[in-house]
This record gives sequence, structure tokens and C-alpha cells, in this order.
Amino acid sequence: MEVVFQSLAVVLQPHHLLMLICGVFMGLAIGILPGLGGIVGMTILLPVIYGMDPHSAFGLLIGMVAVIPTSDTFPSVMMGIPGSSASQATIMDGYPLAKKGEAARALGAAFSASLIGGLFGALVLTVIIPIARPIVLAFGSPELFMLALLGMSMVGVLSGKKPIRGILAAGMGVMLGALGDAPAVPEYRYTFGIDYLMDGIPLVVVGLGLFAFPEIVDLLIKGRAISEVTTLGRGWWDGVKDTFSHKFIVLRCSIIGVIVGFLPGLGGSVVDWIAYGHVIQTSKDREKFGQGDIRGVIAPESANNAKEGGGLIPTFLFGIPGSGSMAVFLGGLLILGIQPGPSMVTENVGLIYTAIWSLALANVLGASLSIALSKPITRLTLIPFSFLAPFMVLIITFACYQATRSWGDLIALLLMGVVGWVMKQYGWPRPAALIGYVLSDNLETYLFISVQRYGLDWLKRPGVMVLAGIIFVSLAMGIFFQTKRTAATSGGEHGKKAS
Amino acid sequence: MVKKLLSIRILFAAAVTLSFAYGVFEARTYAYLARIFPFYISLVLFFLALINLVQEIRKTVQGTAEEEAGGTADLEVKWDIEMSQVLMKFLLFVGVIIILYGFIWLIGYPLSITIFIIVMYRYLSETKWIWALIAGLAGLGFLALVSKLLYMDWPEGIFKLPWPLG
Repeated sequence: MEVVFQSLAVVLQPHHLLMLICGVFMGLAIGILPGLGGIVGMTILLPVIYGMDPHSAFGLLIGMVAVIPTSDTFPSVMMGIPGSSASQATIMDGYPLAKKGEAARALGAAFSASLIGGLFGALVLTVIIPIARPIVLAFGSPELFMLALLGMSMVGVLSGKKPIRGILAAGMGVMLGALGDAPAVPEYRYTFGIDYLMDGIPLVVVGLGLFAFPEIVDLLIKGRAISEVTTLGRGWWDGVKDTFSHKFIVLRCSIIGVIVGFLPGLGGSVVDWIAYGHVIQTSKDREKFGQGDIRGVIAPESANNAKEGGGLIPTFLFGIPGSGSMAVFLGGLLILGIQPGPSMVTENVGLIYTAIWSLALANVLGASLSIALSKPITRLTLIPFSFLAPFMVLIITFACYQATRSWGDLIALLLMGVVGWVMKQYGWPRPAALIGYVLSDNLETYLFISVQRYGLDWLKRPGVMVLAGIIFVSLAMGIFFQTKRTAATSGGEHGKKAS
Repeated sequence: MVKKLLSIRILFAAAVTLSFAYGVFEARTYAYLARIFPFYISLVLFFLALINLVQEIRKTVQGTAEEEAGGTADLEVKWDIEMSQVLMKFLLFVGVIIILYGFIWLIGYPLSITIFIIVMYRYLSETKWIWALIAGLAGLGFLALVSKLLYMDWPEGIFKLPWPLG
């Protein structure tokens, strides 16, 4: 308990608070730009946190990532295009409400639901740490290897429309991570004789190339303003009241958010749809959904903020990221010299609580600022993207160059950008590739340690066998349900054609 | 049919397959401890990629391939215009970035990015010259400020220019 309050004292120090506020403002800015979610925001911040003390860096990173699911509601409600992948379902009812002149009500409900969801996620994380501690400490390298493999397999199966592409995308990431010096022996792999590749491609370059570059191109091709609705209308307070009158929806969807955030591979892009589907299924009067039902805004918004708390659980405790943005956060931890995994609960437990307090505080700040600054932010969303794009190019090229300060960064950015764009257009899940890339080094190191220490006997450890069983079941179930869904879809299409 | 088979979808799937094949081939030459991980990973992935490639080709031949984007973990892509036009615009953007890199190589990052912003504002956003210039200078100012505050570097060109232009 003492460490919890010590961490609060750290969080409330002026320097940390300043960093947190900077992160929150960055999160607000990135959230309103369509497509640029937590992955891009975190990646831009990576060059900035080099040499920073971990507590301040946590303020910056968590301040930003916690607020994006709140501010990304602006483009979803005002224009009907998602600010990030986590706010796609909010469009279904948020945008119709805005067209009816009730944008303020939708935003009020969304921000208050986001706040409660975010705080719930932080609370769950607080409760989980002491409970999980003995379990986590029982994990050795073989179990951690299997857990990383489980994360990879779930990412592969769950993150795409086709499991095979998800697995391949994750595998592409793993191979990309294997570039450069091998962890076990002094040997360089797949460098093609290029000096730049000896240390591998930096995370900043991979993250910005795969995610920021394709979004900028797509928005430029679409060539329109972020928003079309010019007025907020009425009902701020009504929106807040709506959230409290649907408190059980908020609670249920927050729980969904935490669970989905915890599972590797699902992350932000699906949590909102699961919550939206849940609220429709559990409502007796479903007719108004899709036409501006406030419950359709509250459900996804509470879930997508709660998932950040859930996502931090496997990231901190096992070093397995729950989503793309958590994968970048994991990279950030390594930059700060912190090794995520079981040692976190013994050596860096104070940092975990700093993250939790930062998460809670950022949610409060984010929701308050979103309400207070809604008018200027709404005006910002009216700016055509062609005005913002040149500055986005400036930011990503400049941030990228800081990775190794060589031309290789810029060239790799362009190449990764082209690959990312093709992946996006043709249904190859990019988050799977990013998670594979981040996990690659851990996978190889854990495997190496396991083989060195136990020989092939590591495969006989009970934990390993249980995890192998879970991997098999998750793969089989994922492929089974995917096949079933595809069959149902094609059956439906044939039916339509026949009729 | 040949044109269909040369679609980006299939070319990308083929490139992925080839890259894993290269992964297996190249890994054979490494020392045991450096080889074991990439060799087996790329071997398994090569066979999966091959299955995926065959599926793609079969669908294209049968005419059942559809342009499906995203997946559950990604933003969906829907276009109001023809895919060929989208591709042309994408290539145009890539071309612009390559030209920007060429300028950076010649005159350094700050001046190149300033010119880039001015040109984009003037010709893409169709603003007046004065607003384009202000935007360019704002970009340069931002760059100078951030690099001073956070001790960040930028790429220098062949022609050395005085700070903050080079």
C-alpha cells in the first residue's frame, strides 16, 4: 500500500505533471486526426524519451495513449469517420446524433463514459498486480516463450479477416525483428551487406512506416476535411446524465474493455464493436440503434478507454503486448532500460503504480479538456487534411531520423510505408506485424535461454504443456469460427444473389 | 487473365512467399545459435505463405477474389473512386516523397521541408502564396525550436547552409 501512495507522490510532482499534460495534449491532437491512433502517437514520442527518467517518460506516454480513445470521438461524431480504430463503432449512433443537432449530447455522453471506463481500467490494473504477483513469479523462460507464442498465435488468428494472413503478418514482423545482430551469438543476419541493417530496423521506423505513412496517403487521396458538421448543438449535460442513467451498460462494457485489452491481438479495433454488439444484444428496444441511440455511443466509448488498463496487464507482467500501441509502449520500456516481465513486480512495482496513477489522471484530464476545448477542437476538425498533411510529413520524417540519425531511417520509412499501405489495402493486419516485430527479440531470447538451461526438457514442463494446449485450442477455435463465419457470409451472399 | 494474376494482391502474396523462402535459404549459412530461430520460423511461414498464394491465385482464376481491407484489427478502407485511380495517387505521393528526399540530399532537411510545405500549400491546398510562405516558415520555426530544445539532429545536404536552413 505504501508503494501506491509513494507513486502518487511521484505523479503529482510538477515535472511529472507537466509531462503528463504534454502527453494529454498530444493525445488530444492525434486523436482528432483520423487514422492516427496510439501506435503513431507513441512512436513519435519514442525519440523524445531517450535518456528521460522512467517516471516522466511514463507520464508522457501514458498521458497520450490514455486520451486518444477519448479525443478520437470528435471525428467519429462530427464526420462519421473514425479518429482511430478504437472509435469505429461510435460512428453508428454518434454521427446520426450529430446530424440531428445533438453532437454536444453525443460528445458529453462519450467523454463521461470514456472517463468512467478509463478509471475502471486503472482500478482493475491496481487490483490485479498484487494478486498476479505470485503467479507471475512462477514463470520461467520456457513459460514466457510459450506465452509470447500464445500472444503471437492469438494475434495472428484474431487480428485479421483471414487467420492465415494474420499469422503471416505476425511472422513478417518476427522476421523483420530478426534482422541485424543475433542475440545469442555475434553474427549479423539478413543485412545484405548494408551497415544500417546491422542493428535491425528501429521500432520508430517500423511503427511510423506501417501506420502513419499509409494513413497520411489515404487521407490525402480522400482529400477532405476531418469534419463536416459545423455546430455542436445542444445537450452537453444531457449526455453526461445519459451516461449515469445507463450505468450498468458502462460497467458491463468497461469489463468487456478490460478483458479484450488483456487478450493479445484484439486490442482497440475490435473492442468497440464487441461492446456495441453486446449493448444491442442485451437491449429490448433495438430499433433505434444506428439512428442515433445514445447507448450506441456510451457502450463503445466506455469499453475503448477501459482496454488501456487491461492492455497494460500482460505488457507489464509478461512483456506480451495486448495491442499495437502496447507493443510500441513495450519498445519504449526497453528504451528506458526497463525489462518488462516478472521482474517488474519485484524490481519496478513503483513504476507500475506510476503508470496506473498516470492512466487515471490522464483520463480525468482528457475528458475535462475534451469538454472544455470542444469548441476550438470542433473548429480544428473543419480544416481540410491537405493543410495538415505537410506538417505530418515533417513530424514523421523528423521523428524517424532521430532513430539512428542516418539516411537509412528515411529510406526504411518510405519502404515500410509502401509495405504498410499495401497491407492496409489488401487486408493484411498491420498490428499483427508490429506485435510480431516487438516480440521477435523476446521470443528468440527466451527460446535460447530455455534450450541452454533445460535442453529439450523444457518442453516437458507442466506450464509449457498447458500453454501449448491453450495455443492449440485457440488456433483451432480461431480457424474454425473464421471458416464458419466465411461460410455463413458466402452463403448469405449466394442467398441474396438467388433471391 | 494474365493482367488479373499480376494484380497487387497476388504480387504482394508472392513477394511475402519469396521473402520467407529467402529467409530459409539465407539462414542455412549462419552459425547454429543464430540459425535455429529464423530458419524454423521462416520455414513454417514459407509453407503457410505458399498456401495463401495458391488460395489467392485460385480465387482470382475463379473470379471470387474481392478487395477486402483491414480486418478486425485495422481500419477499413473504402474508396469512392476506382482502385486504379487510388493507385495512381498513391504512386504520385510516393514520387513526391522521393523528390523531397532528393532535395534533402542536396540542400539539407530544413530548407527542403520548408519548400515542401510551401509547395503543398500552394498547389495541393491552393492557398495564396503569402499563406503558403507563412506555413513554410512555421514549419521551419517548429523544426528549429524542437531541435534546439530536445537536441535533435536533421539530415544535412551536400551544400552546407547556415542554421536553421541546413
